[in-house]
Amino acid sequence: MEAPPDNDVLWARSLHFCHPDGSPGVAGVSLGVREGEILAVGGPRGSGKTTLLRCLAGLVPAQHGEVWFNSTAVHRMGPVDRERLRRDRFGWIDPAPVLVPELNVWENTALPLMLRGVGRRRAKVAALEWLERLDVGDKARRRPVELRQAERQRVAIARAIAPSPTVLFADEPTAPLHRAERAHVLRTLTTAARSHGITVVLATHDAETAALADRRISLLDGRRVNTVHLPPVSEAEGRAECSLSV
Amino acid sequence: MLALRLIRVAHPAVQLRRLLVATAAAGSGFLLLSALGYAMAHPQNSAGALLRLSWCAIPLAATVHLAVAVARTDPGTKPRPGLSALGLGPSRLMAVAALHTALACTLGSVLALLVFLHLRGDLNGMPFDGAAKDFLAADQPLPLPAALTLLGVLPVVASTAVALALRPPDLLHPEGHRRSYGRFGAYGTTARRETFGTYGRFGARLFRQPSEPPTLPTGIRPADTPQPVATADGDSQAPPDQVPAPSSPPAPPEPPASPTGLPWGVAVLAAGLAVESYASVTETTPRTALPGGLAVGAVGVLAGWALTALGLVLAAPGLTHLCGRLLQTARPGALRLLAGRVLMAEATRIGRPLGVVCVVASAAFATTTLSDYDGSAPAFGPLTALGGLVVAGCTVATLLTAAVEARQSRADTTEALLRMGAPAAALRSAAALRTGALLAFFVPFTLLIADLAALPLAR
Repeated sequence: MEAPPDNDVLWARSLHFCHPDGSPGVAGVSLGVREGEILAVGGPRGSGKTTLLRCLAGLVPAQHGEVWFNSTAVHRMGPVDRERLRRDRFGWIDPAPVLVPELNVWENTALPLMLRGVGRRRAKVAALEWLERLDVGDKARRRPVELRQAERQRVAIARAIAPSPTVLFADEPTAPLHRAERAHVLRTLTTAARSHGITVVLATHDAETAALADRRISLLDGRRVNTVHLPPVSEAEGRAECSLSV
Repeated sequence: MLALRLIRVAHPAVQLRRLLVATAAAGSGFLLLSALGYAMAHPQNSAGALLRLSWCAIPLAATVHLAVAVARTDPGTKPRPGLSALGLGPSRLMAVAALHTALACTLGSVLALLVFLHLRGDLNGMPFDGAAKDFLAADQPLPLPAALTLLGVLPVVASTAVALALRPPDLLHPEGHRRSYGRFGAYGTTARRETFGTYGRFGARLFRQPSEPPTLPTGIRPADTPQPVATADGDSQAPPDQVPAPSSPPAPPEPPASPTGLPWGVAVLAAGLAVESYASVTETTPRTALPGGLAVGAVGVLAGWALTALGLVLAAPGLTHLCGRLLQTARPGALRLLAGRVLMAEATRIGRPLGVVCVVASAAFATTTLSDYDGSAPAFGPLTALGGLVVAGCTVATLLTAAVEARQSRADTTEALLRMGAPAAALRSAAALRTGALLAFFVPFTLLIADLAALPLAR
């Protein structure tokens, strides 16, 4: 068996994933993520970005293919080992921020640290530091329901970064935001990742978002492609056939 | 037809809960029919028959309680965006839920009627050598309209209660005072409830409109890019182009306010205990009989018991909230934090059925204590045992169903926590910690209340 390249922190070879209902997810994607880089996974909606990220993060096991993380074979791990790997090494950001509604903002941010066994005081200090860095420090004692969506998303980013994961998976982190807030959120995310050497795998269908990344790969219909430019659809295609007046 | 199709394809757990409702309905229906049988066998003792009929109200209420809880957890009656687009909106789903409940209750009632007829020997001979001959009035023809009227009570009451409990939110606030969240509450227009003092107690300022303009959130730095959309400019009404698109994710559910019934509950509880002991001291009050040949108690004692039960139900959400608050005090770690805060948030949902369970448990405890004091074995008839079984089963099943409902409503948060890498064992142990805290608080509390309630009669 071939060993993975040394400079890649995360490495996948010919990943195949098919959803339980039979719809195709990812078909034969290979990629390598270098340490400390920000990799954008682009492509239109439904091209398998989220599925690829879920396979890489070990949330779902791929049917064929290999996923290596720092010379550890993720594809051969059991569910318990994958859960531990996710907790200790990976961070995950959802498209919409799902925070625990009963906890306030700093408790939400400190929760992954406390789940790893860090003491309450140290977890609180780290959480408040990260919240301050992401411009939500003054909301640290509010409940998530009192915040705006962009602020909640920044809290979710702080929650994912605070345990300083090795790899951070961000699945369209700016999809439900307006453009100004989108730029702000993305800038804080990329700055935080670069300053702390966190590898980021960022799924996005937005070219502006992808421009902030170091490198970009594109997916189309579950396959890795070099360009996603499809031939333009002619304006009147099918209109004459379907028109009742003809 | 749609309701029937929805019934057929449901999950086995959902079917099991509906079957529980049908079983409880069968038990209640059989008790009602037995009261009818007693009335037919003793036409001269109409007061006794009426008393028996009125005692049937307790199993009936427990069954309706269970039916409402089961309808709340039914996934087939949850509002779903796809179904709403098809025209199956919240009001139609309310009708479907009411129909499901009516069907389950009717099934139980038919079962009760069949058992009743079988025991009377109307179907094929007298079973058990005619042991049930006396109290079911086997020698008289059954008045079918009376039986059908009695059996129809439960489906009607239960489906009405379900429809009332699940009515869509715009029917709840028809006067248009709904709090709008606008853009995820960005404008700060959500009215803060006054919870302190006289205003909070009597709700004088429940729906106060904010008079001051909402302030611009301070956490947002003006970004370098030009802002194509206007931010909040002091106008509390959202411009029409800022109304969130239907595809935008909903705001997280607001954690419910802490239950306010604790002072009322404690007051009513104390008043009930006081009335009870006072009535047992003064021997002049009229007396009434308890079912199953229990001690004959004064009417005042019964009123005191009812007040005690009401106070227990009112106080239980507040006590549950208190449990959660105690659980998460004093520098909690992740486990106690999750357990306590969730318990605080679910206090009303869990606390009410828990209070009812406490009432039933303390009643059972008091009954056994009373029969111990009398020195005689409790003279439970089969009908009393059946009624007690129906009530106890219904209340416990309601509590478990409420727990299922709480779990359903937190499913997406739990999933996000798991995605984040939270160990499933930690979430399970948080749930176990919640259960343990509730048990540790409510078991001694119930025993204490039961002891106090049984004290006057034991003298």
